[in-house]
Amino acid sequence: MREFRIAQPRTVEELAALLAETKESVALMAGGTDLIDMLKSGVAAPDLVVDLQGVEGLAGIAPGKDGLRIGPLTRVAALAADPAVVRDFPILKEAALSLATPQLRNVGTVGGNLCQRPRCWYFRDPEVACRKKGGMRCFAMRGRNKYHAVLGGGGCFIVHPSDLAPALISLGAAVTVASARGEKSLPLEDFYRLPSVDVTRETSLGRDEFLKDVFVPAPKPGQKGAYVKLKERGTWDFAVASAAVSGVVKGGVASEIAIVAGGIAPVPWRMKAAEEILRGKPVTEALAARAAAAALKEASPLAENAYKLELAAAAVKRAVLALL
Amino acid sequence: MDAKYIGKATPRVDGRKVVTGRAEYTHDVRLKDMLFGMILRSPHAAAEVVSVDLAQAKALPGVLAALSLAEGRVRYAGQQVAAVAAVDERTAEKALGLIKVDYKVLPSVVEWEKAREPGAPQVREAKPNVEKFSEAARGDVEKGLKEADAVIERTYRTAFEVHNPAETHASVAAWEGERLTVYDSTQNVHGVRDGLARALKVPAAGITVIKHYMGGGFGSKLGLGEHTVVAALLAREAGRPVRVALSRRENGMCVGYRPSSFQTYKAGIKKDGTLTALSLVNYASGGIDYGDEVLEPAVDLYRIPNVKVEEFSVFTNTGAGCACRAPGNTQGMFGLEGLMDELAAAIGMDPLEVRRKNYTTRSQGDTGLPYSTKGLDLCYAAGAKAIGWERRNRRPGEGSGPVRRGIGMSSSLWWGTGVPGTLADIVLYPDGSVEVVSGTQDIGTGTRTHMAVVAAETLGLEPKDIVVNVGSSDYPWAPASGGSVTTPSVAPAVREAALKAVARLKQVAAGKLKAKAEDVLMDGRRFFVKGAEDKPVAWADVCRSLRRETVFHGEAAAYPQDQYAFNTFGAHFAEVEVDLETGKVRVLRYVAAQDSGRIINRQTAESQVVGGITQGLSAALFEERVLDSATGRSVNPNLRDYKIATSLDIPEIEVIFVDVVDERLNILGAKGLGEPARIPSSAAVGNAVFNAIGVHVREIPMTPKRVLEALKRKEAGS
Repeated sequence: MREFRIAQPRTVEELAALLAETKESVALMAGGTDLIDMLKSGVAAPDLVVDLQGVEGLAGIAPGKDGLRIGPLTRVAALAADPAVVRDFPILKEAALSLATPQLRNVGTVGGNLCQRPRCWYFRDPEVACRKKGGMRCFAMRGRNKYHAVLGGGGCFIVHPSDLAPALISLGAAVTVASARGEKSLPLEDFYRLPSVDVTRETSLGRDEFLKDVFVPAPKPGQKGAYVKLKERGTWDFAVASAAVSGVVKGGVASEIAIVAGGIAPVPWRMKAAEEILRGKPVTEALAARAAAAALKEASPLAENAYKLELAAAAVKRAVLALL
Repeated sequence: MDAKYIGKATPRVDGRKVVTGRAEYTHDVRLKDMLFGMILRSPHAAAEVVSVDLAQAKALPGVLAALSLAEGRVRYAGQQVAAVAAVDERTAEKALGLIKVDYKVLPSVVEWEKAREPGAPQVREAKPNVEKFSEAARGDVEKGLKEADAVIERTYRTAFEVHNPAETHASVAAWEGERLTVYDSTQNVHGVRDGLARALKVPAAGITVIKHYMGGGFGSKLGLGEHTVVAALLAREAGRPVRVALSRRENGMCVGYRPSSFQTYKAGIKKDGTLTALSLVNYASGGIDYGDEVLEPAVDLYRIPNVKVEEFSVFTNTGAGCACRAPGNTQGMFGLEGLMDELAAAIGMDPLEVRRKNYTTRSQGDTGLPYSTKGLDLCYAAGAKAIGWERRNRRPGEGSGPVRRGIGMSSSLWWGTGVPGTLADIVLYPDGSVEVVSGTQDIGTGTRTHMAVVAAETLGLEPKDIVVNVGSSDYPWAPASGGSVTTPSVAPAVREAALKAVARLKQVAAGKLKAKAEDVLMDGRRFFVKGAEDKPVAWADVCRSLRRETVFHGEAAAYPQDQYAFNTFGAHFAEVEVDLETGKVRVLRYVAAQDSGRIINRQTAESQVVGGITQGLSAALFEERVLDSATGRSVNPNLRDYKIATSLDIPEIEVIFVDVVDERLNILGAKGLGEPARIPSSAAVGNAVFNAIGVHVREIPMTPKRVLEALKRKEAGS
């Protein structure tokens, strides 16, 4: 572990000013469930850790007419138990309860989950300098890669580990990113960056920026959703493949549908090809399977991870059929 | 035996202490002025250590000792190269970063499959990478195969399974002049003492090794660890106690694992289920050391007239494997019992019937000594009844739908019959208190409790009345807690010592009762003459008359190994569900029937069995060390990526003991249990999956990837 300083701002203004001023390398800490591990192992070695837990106004869920505002410091357990979430967005509850363990959900936060670093085992080895850490090589590409990306890789084959992100993107969620320079809102889908854009980061968050809130638009009449997470163990496991599907199905026909896969690409993977096949048609098992296959057509698996395509197809199919 | 405690369920005598956090583990030991030691390890799988420069590390304030440990060549990533001791962990870690090592990197080979190839880098000097290390033969296999109605050839593989005890390896060493005391997380206090004496060239008589409480070992802590020697050397150099506690990462790299196996069987069976021949070729890999022999089940479990086994160890530039809960038999049983189910399928017979058809009451498949006792048939019957064996698929995979159910089973065969010469003392004190002492160790299995149970039973007391002292090499000798020998070694010794104590107490009581000692009865802390229960003398009065503490020695006796074979047996039954689309296996229900002789404490015995099943299920479905092929570094030396079953993965478990008491073995008729409960558990799950989907996965862990691949193999009809 490298020594670091810690800052504990009390307000968003203090936080914004601190990030704007500091010349040091910074790590933002929300729940800290993963960051502390990374600090101890030396994979993260910032000069300054900014503890967000004392920043006023970053935690809590506010239901409104147009939708739900979720503070990024909201604990995952609180998200899963929130009455508005349970009533209007059961897919979020499902996704929240599928991740980690009760202990981790009690401490981990929504923002931390969305901004978490990948679990690629080469990235997590403190003695390996892979491309994500500024090195020259991706060691997974020709190394051991049974959990790595089958889509969207290229130079780096991490998978995005979040369970909340696919569910939120399927719901059309947006995030507010703030800094001393002001605030901006963008679709959560656009918040994530492929390695081809910037291999060292998974999001578009600038070094002076932080996540201020997550907004989920109010559900449309008849809107349903499902999150199917395929993992190896019964709990405490990241998705080998997952699928979040939200949409409106009337009389067996999907009038609106959004499909986002997790655990198979460096970003939550929107499956527009599958959505197009399904939209406006009666949902059947065969059509769901065809849609999943279309969405995975561009996949290029590595030596040890082709099986993930079958899992992803099953997850998408099951999540789509769960809307019926 | 009309027993009050033996064979009944007694809660752990130290359970409260453990669950309230007051039990002291080696990790908890904090001695005055203790330093923290850390070890620098090679990042290279093979290299010449040209030089180690400790100057900068030594110059760092707070560093009190630094050592170079490399001797010329390192042969695996993770091998120790240097070590430091400092006032705290952060300083020690910083100091490691200041050590300069000049390596000349050499060619290495990490995967055993590649190490077999001609021209592969040589792992050992002047020795080939492949070496035959085990063989066995009887009869004529070719002839036997010709007599068969069906002959099949199958390869079964088992992975590198890392022990991952909750408590990682740790040692705290402290010198007082030439006397050395080491607190060690070990399964073998006497063995570590003797090992330290050899390594440090100091008299064993001046070394004490202590282990109070232990967070698991599973075979990885059976002997002296390199880190323990490092702790002792650093402590000597610094003149202060030194603690070396390995990290989880180190645990995954350099303290052993279960060696892999690659077992190819060819076997013949007649239509009526009679086995005619079996050949086995195994390639085992244990890194820079030998792998495990897996032949025992194949040569011993069934009546097969013609058997031939050849086993090869394949050496690689990876850390050495070591014993892991039932070394060899666990891997071998996965192969053999998988084969048995595939043979049964080949002739369309009930797999349990095939096992019964080839049942033997003599070891070595009817060619050796008669078993003193063998309750395997009882285990088959009890287990089959409890799981509902008749509900299985008559033809593997005959169900329909996307989720298939299946039931499978496996036998267990192990030794675990105890070590003659094991010592235990009973000490009676004039105040009436009782101590039982043995230089064994409680590695979490309930040894303290079973000792209290045996002493209390024999002395007419309650287990809570007995003070149990274990876990020091200064106590009377007992073997390593491995090989499932602890209970059958220690319990008879305690029993013998306690019987001697009872005889002495009766003698003293007889004097007070003015009766003959043989007429004195003992019951409920009282001594009396038959017919005169109303005129007793109290336990306390009799003990007081001893005037000083009195020690009674017990020793485990020899048993007639030249006349009988002594083994433990068991049969496990699993019911599973397999998702054909995702390859996910879920174990729904599990029944274990064990023949481990007389059960001393049913409660901790059941815990042992549940633990064995949990470990075997976990290995069957999840556990696998993954090494980077190029560097030989483990990519999953942690509990996130090295996946161990969680409580949600463990089904309802029913434990049955068939209670076959082996009077020839020891005065309690007790056998071991720790490993017998682990041996069949991966195999039973594997066979249940076969019964569910109609194709044997033949490789553990049965991850979604491998299950899906097996299903493709089935589709392709091979």
